[in-house]
Amino acid sequence: MENSPRKEILVSSFLIMFIIHSNQVGVGILGFPRYINQYTGQDGWIVVLITGLIFHVFVWMMYVILGDEREDIIDLQKKWFGSWIGGLLNLLVMIYLLLGAVVILRTFIEVIQAWMFPELKTWIPVLMFLLLTYYVLAGGFRTVVGVSFFGVIFPLWLLITAVSPAKYASFTNLLPVFDHSLKDFVMGTKQMTLSFLGAEILLFAYPFLKNPKSSRVWAHIGIGGTTIIYLIVMIISIAFYSEEQLQQTIWSTLISWKMVELPFVERFEYIGITFWCFVIFPNVCLNIWAATRIGKKTLHIKQKYFSIVLLIVVFISCVLITTREQVDMINTITASIGTYFFYIYIPIIFLYAVVRRRVTR
Amino acid sequence: MKWFQKTEKEMTLDDVLDDLSQSADFVIYQNKASRIPYTLIYFASIIDPAKLHRVVLTKLNESETKSLEELEGIIPIENLEISSDPIKVQERLMSGYLAVRLNKSQKVLLMDLSLIKSRDLSPPEIEFSVMGPKEGLIEDLQTNMNLIRRRIPHPKLRMKKVTVGTVSKTKIIVTYIEGTASEQNVNTVVQRLEDLDFDLIADSSVIGQMLEDNSLSVFPQMIDTERTDRITGHLNYGAVAILVEGSSNALIGPINFGQLLVSFEDYYLGWNIASFFRIIRMMSILMSIVATPLYVAVLTYHFELFPSKLLATLISSRSDIPFIPVIEVLFLEITIDLLREAGARMPSKVGQTLGIVGGIVIGTAAVEASLTSNILLIIVALSALASFTTPVYRMTNTIRFLRYPLILFAQFLGLIGIALFGLFVMVHLIRLTSLGSPYLAPLYPPRVKDWYDSFFRLPYVLQKKRSHFFRTEKVSRFFDKKEKKPNSLDFDEQ
Repeated sequence: MENSPRKEILVSSFLIMFIIHSNQVGVGILGFPRYINQYTGQDGWIVVLITGLIFHVFVWMMYVILGDEREDIIDLQKKWFGSWIGGLLNLLVMIYLLLGAVVILRTFIEVIQAWMFPELKTWIPVLMFLLLTYYVLAGGFRTVVGVSFFGVIFPLWLLITAVSPAKYASFTNLLPVFDHSLKDFVMGTKQMTLSFLGAEILLFAYPFLKNPKSSRVWAHIGIGGTTIIYLIVMIISIAFYSEEQLQQTIWSTLISWKMVELPFVERFEYIGITFWCFVIFPNVCLNIWAATRIGKKTLHIKQKYFSIVLLIVVFISCVLITTREQVDMINTITASIGTYFFYIYIPIIFLYAVVRRRVTR
Repeated sequence: MKWFQKTEKEMTLDDVLDDLSQSADFVIYQNKASRIPYTLIYFASIIDPAKLHRVVLTKLNESETKSLEELEGIIPIENLEISSDPIKVQERLMSGYLAVRLNKSQKVLLMDLSLIKSRDLSPPEIEFSVMGPKEGLIEDLQTNMNLIRRRIPHPKLRMKKVTVGTVSKTKIIVTYIEGTASEQNVNTVVQRLEDLDFDLIADSSVIGQMLEDNSLSVFPQMIDTERTDRITGHLNYGAVAILVEGSSNALIGPINFGQLLVSFEDYYLGWNIASFFRIIRMMSILMSIVATPLYVAVLTYHFELFPSKLLATLISSRSDIPFIPVIEVLFLEITIDLLREAGARMPSKVGQTLGIVGGIVIGTAAVEASLTSNILLIIVALSALASFTTPVYRMTNTIRFLRYPLILFAQFLGLIGIALFGLFVMVHLIRLTSLGSPYLAPLYPPRVKDWYDSFFRLPYVLQKKRSHFFRTEKVSRFFDKKEKKPNSLDFDEQ
């Protein structure tokens, strides 16, 4: 409770919906159907639903972990495991958050380089995004939440464009239903987890909500929104592509945007990518923001200075990743760390929290 | 400065008068012929001679009293006071008071004879509207206060006076409706005004710039308005208005971004028409900022974006042009701003004609000389036109200004550059506050209940509550007394 935020900088509880949703939807949506469908084929949409449900459970667990006090995971770990072990755990989480920021930023710049500017040097857009991130962080949490709010609102109209590929889609592709083994579903769900990562931001944003307890519903709505959007993308992808086509298409969502026909726009994916800047940016801001909170509470460095350090670290890491293979590799690494974080770490501290609260009561 | 103040304190009335008499318009008139010998001291240029002759002199010559206190009872003028403080006497004389002195005493009787010359009321020129009252503020503070008080004859309408400026001693009136305006806002304004330390306040816009939360921003954080209906309307919502002596504009705050798109005429048109115009205005602002940068981005990097037919038209119109798109765009944009600036500096009649002629002649000639393409000319002209649809003048300038960095970003990184600059403006607006209230409200922080009068305007019956933005204590505006029509009536039974 030592650093609990002042009342003026709290945000309305329902904004947690936008925070979670915007931190989940990132660059993955532009190409995730391929990774799922290599295991489950036309049943991919069921995997989306399953993963969505699992994340509802995770959100429930996270609320149990956070309890009734105005504390975030950083305080709790320090309180429960002491300043050494707790501090170490916090630092590990910080590395995971930074990795998340690097992955999303670098992958998006990979998309820009692949589709719009093949000659573009990586450091130029990275530098600009990170300077903007500093500007956001300097405005405090309210600004970070504002960015994620508009990051959901502005690109929302892109959902309408799903109609265009749907015109050419054959929805019989979705049949037969439940045609895969349980193992396939498990593998698919594991792959799908990468796209749902980001819900952990709740663990950090929680004490900044005006009425943390009543935010529960909104957090679930946020997850629900993510699930619905992924479901739409998945169904359109399965129906629009044949299975072999989908396996050969890295950025399937981007390519299906080519189907959008407007009287004055030929290649709609350019507009899509442009608007995707608004989707990417909140992810970077939220991740680095949470990392600076850890720095403030564990290392006792002011966010003012620590954010600069973190931004430099992210900048260097992004520039060092040069090839498509490296981008893929760091995606896979982050995905597996994220999977462990959610499927092993969160249940463990969930149990710990429950047992500990029972005992101390 | 201590030594200076010390000598000032030690000055006698005679020193002060000696000092002042170096001005040509300073008068010390000694009357020894009347029954009581008296001396009149005043600045001839700022007092009302008619009052002096008709009221003061007649009474003085008639009276036989020998004390200032009795004179104070005789002379029928408000604001009479007796003072022996030379500094105070000096200040009063400077603001149009007349001093009566008997027998070289240190005490004088001060009376307000100030004469204020100002122009007559005239219709607002900058914020013109077809419907609604045509009454604008003028440079005289008294008249402006009168205009506002007449429109709000409410006992709680407060007018607090603050004086700012070491040289100009400008009178500033902070006006608000107590109970409706939040105390916090009033205190912020008064506090910031009292903290101001500046020599000469030429206009309310100077005050506006000094009160702003973020002086680095190009976005106006207070509205300058000359319309009395706008001022009273905002006062009623719970805003604070600042009137400045010698300025024909009032400042209104706190404001949010949405209010910059509101023309007060919106309230005089039907709600559906008004909402339509607001949406048009919003779109025109967006178009005005983004149109030419998009041209640069698409023609420099992404010409695949256009369908082949449209692309053919574009290419054929650009085929003879020797410049890259960004040079072409900057050339035309700067030309437009040149015309605008020249038009603003010239006498109005000449300016208008020259603007139109210059625009048409330069535009046509530039196309014929193949310096620019036809299509660009259309885009630039349209976006220039669109930038003038904003009802707040300062916002027009902001829009015109924002375009240039955006053009450079578009040249630098194409569509991504435009998105990055868009992100920057978005973050800036999220962070910006006006008198401490969020600038993007009610969009962010989202307050759906306040949306009835923002991007659109709903009918008055639905505007029962004041917007949360002003943090007002008196939330409800009126109570609906009308009986509701029973729902059971069918179409032909009403």
